[in-house]
Amino acid sequence: MQLRGLTRYGALLGALALVAGCAGGSSGDKVITLDYWCWSGSQAAKVAAFNDAHPHIRVRHTDAGGGVDSATKLLTASRAGNAPDVSCVEYPTVPSMIVSDVLADIAEYTAGIEDAFTPEVWGMTRFEGQVYGIPQDIGPMVLLYNARRFDELGIGVPATWEEFAEVAAAVRERDPSTHLATFAPTEFGNFAGLAQQAGAAWWTVEDREWTVDISDDRTLEVAAYWEDLIDRDLVKAEPLLTPEWNNRVNRGEVLTWPAALWAPDVIHGIAAGQAGDWAIAPLPRWEEDSEAVALQGGTALAVTKNSDHPQAAAEFAIWMNTAEAAYELQIASGQYPACVAGQAAAAQGPPPALMAGQEDYWDIATHAAANTVSDVTWGPNVSTAGDAYRDAMSAAIRDGTPLTDAIRETQRIVVEEMRRVGFRLAQ
Amino acid sequence: MATAATSPQHGTGQRPRRRRRTLAPYVLIAPALLLFAAFMGVPILYALFLSTQGLRIVDEGVFGIRDEVFVGLANYAEILTDGAFWAGFGRLALYGLIAVPLTLGLALLFALLLDHGASRAKRFTRTAIFIPYAIPGVVASLMWGFMYLPSTSPFSHLTRELGLGSIPFLDGGAIYPSLANIAIWGGTGFNMIIIYTSLRGIPAELCDAARIDGCTEWQIAWRIKVPLVAPALVLTGLFALIGTLQVYGEPTMLSSMTTEISQTWVPLMHIYRDGFIRDDLPMAAAGSVFLAVGTLLVSLALLKATQRRAFGGFK
Repeated sequence: MQLRGLTRYGALLGALALVAGCAGGSSGDKVITLDYWCWSGSQAAKVAAFNDAHPHIRVRHTDAGGGVDSATKLLTASRAGNAPDVSCVEYPTVPSMIVSDVLADIAEYTAGIEDAFTPEVWGMTRFEGQVYGIPQDIGPMVLLYNARRFDELGIGVPATWEEFAEVAAAVRERDPSTHLATFAPTEFGNFAGLAQQAGAAWWTVEDREWTVDISDDRTLEVAAYWEDLIDRDLVKAEPLLTPEWNNRVNRGEVLTWPAALWAPDVIHGIAAGQAGDWAIAPLPRWEEDSEAVALQGGTALAVTKNSDHPQAAAEFAIWMNTAEAAYELQIASGQYPACVAGQAAAAQGPPPALMAGQEDYWDIATHAAANTVSDVTWGPNVSTAGDAYRDAMSAAIRDGTPLTDAIRETQRIVVEEMRRVGFRLAQ
Repeated sequence: MATAATSPQHGTGQRPRRRRRTLAPYVLIAPALLLFAAFMGVPILYALFLSTQGLRIVDEGVFGIRDEVFVGLANYAEILTDGAFWAGFGRLALYGLIAVPLTLGLALLFALLLDHGASRAKRFTRTAIFIPYAIPGVVASLMWGFMYLPSTSPFSHLTRELGLGSIPFLDGGAIYPSLANIAIWGGTGFNMIIIYTSLRGIPAELCDAARIDGCTEWQIAWRIKVPLVAPALVLTGLFALIGTLQVYGEPTMLSSMTTEISQTWVPLMHIYRDGFIRDDLPMAAAGSVFLAVGTLLVSLALLKATQRRAFGGFK
């Protein structure tokens, strides 16, 4: 930030010198410097490739921490007037960033890449024709399962949630130390995805009038489903990715993880010894006929209002997410690109190390990516919702109270805050 | 201050020098004052200002834009009627009731033992007890977290081998002693050093005289040493109290390992949540102001109550 200030003064001094000396000279060859925040793996290589290909723009990359940290810092930096020009933003937080006046509308620069993304993907950063980010990676939901342990226990891959419950019971019978899955009270995004798959629409907005429906019937049904599995000890209720959980994954006591296409890398990171043992399957369905799954996680590159060079920033964000050189690097690092061309390229490559043996990996992945729930609107206070969900769910699991009550509590807190802040609510 | 300069022995011809002398103290405290103003005064005033602001929706943009407006004491009203905020203080009290007496008690015990003439390997013991204080709180919390989680805990491993099952360190009410343990483990050494240093300052002849009068070592410790180190005990007690009100790191680190710790488990976590997860800095400022004023009042009350005993006893 300090450097940035210095360059500003530098530019000012330069301008003064020009005026004072009446010196001529073209200003066209001036190099624009952009600051860029992002946390995922391939960023340094992608930025270097961009800088090589664009002599008139120089991008300085900073890893400002993962999704939640980065969002916090971006909000704070934006208030202080020194947000980076471009930043990674998780899709669910895009609306709250817009409400906090952090992001710039870059619709005027995106006409040329209209077809680079599917409408479902555009839907996460484009609102009423205004574009607040270029999608980078997406996470269509799939079921990760430990195929080796499935074979050992002689169980089949469930296609529906009903079968999932049956398989869970069979697992408990055949190996009492093992659970089919974990229900994590901390995984707001995951639960949101499962609810969206079932047809829930937590937020809708029309003419700045919001409807909040976190405790709608579909969501309550999903909550009741998991509550039943927890009550019968068919799944284990605990936080994910703790030393405890990682340990049990390594011992083969966690058999599946209903998550998204970024998850293989996560499991590989904690249980590298199981490379080749795992596989993916389509996420179990609520109804036999509906295949659409939700998108969980994923980020977009957004241009901030603080940026002095929105056009160059938009050019950078577009290149990073549509250029072949960029998505090749992205795929190599295990990320599933958001752009159509990148997804096609990914499907030509080998499956991730964790699924090394799975021949139909990309068939399943591509099929999931092609059948996603559309028209998902995230609210303007998703972080409050996530935080309320986490505390209410944890308390419910701790005290053995119904998960459906925790969902209602989340709804209550979200609505109460929106009302206090002054959003117009339809109810 | 410079009252000596006005003594009658000095003639009126000394005036310029006198002015210089009265200026000197101000010059000397100026750096401290400036630093205080810049790093304490201004932030406190800003926090006070911020706590009267609120982010409210104005009708702009696709979803509306949140803008800072004056809301008076609304933030205070909101946070002081928030049950979760007060519940945090309740947890603090429970935690403090376990952590503070044990930390101070152990520190005093170790200090007295170290001060005892018959103790061996003093330097090694002193260092060994002090070392945990040098371990950063985050590292300590993670380390203890691993030792609490059933599948990585050596203690639970032992009890399982004995057929007793895992120890539920992080479940239910056990979370309080588990957390307090981290603080006690880390804080005892530091407090022990303060008390021990104070013990070393007791004149040897006092203890010698007591011994000649027939005091046992136990009586010397209880009737001579402990009353004489009372100021050190008050000081460490004050630190421990303030430390308790500021508990944040340990529960935050453990919160990802257990469902027992919510994000508003203690007041500071509540404040962090408001400021940085819910993006409501004004609310966080209101909570901070309340906590700071409360800490100040409690500290003053403690000092007042213990002042005579601690500092007035040996005039």
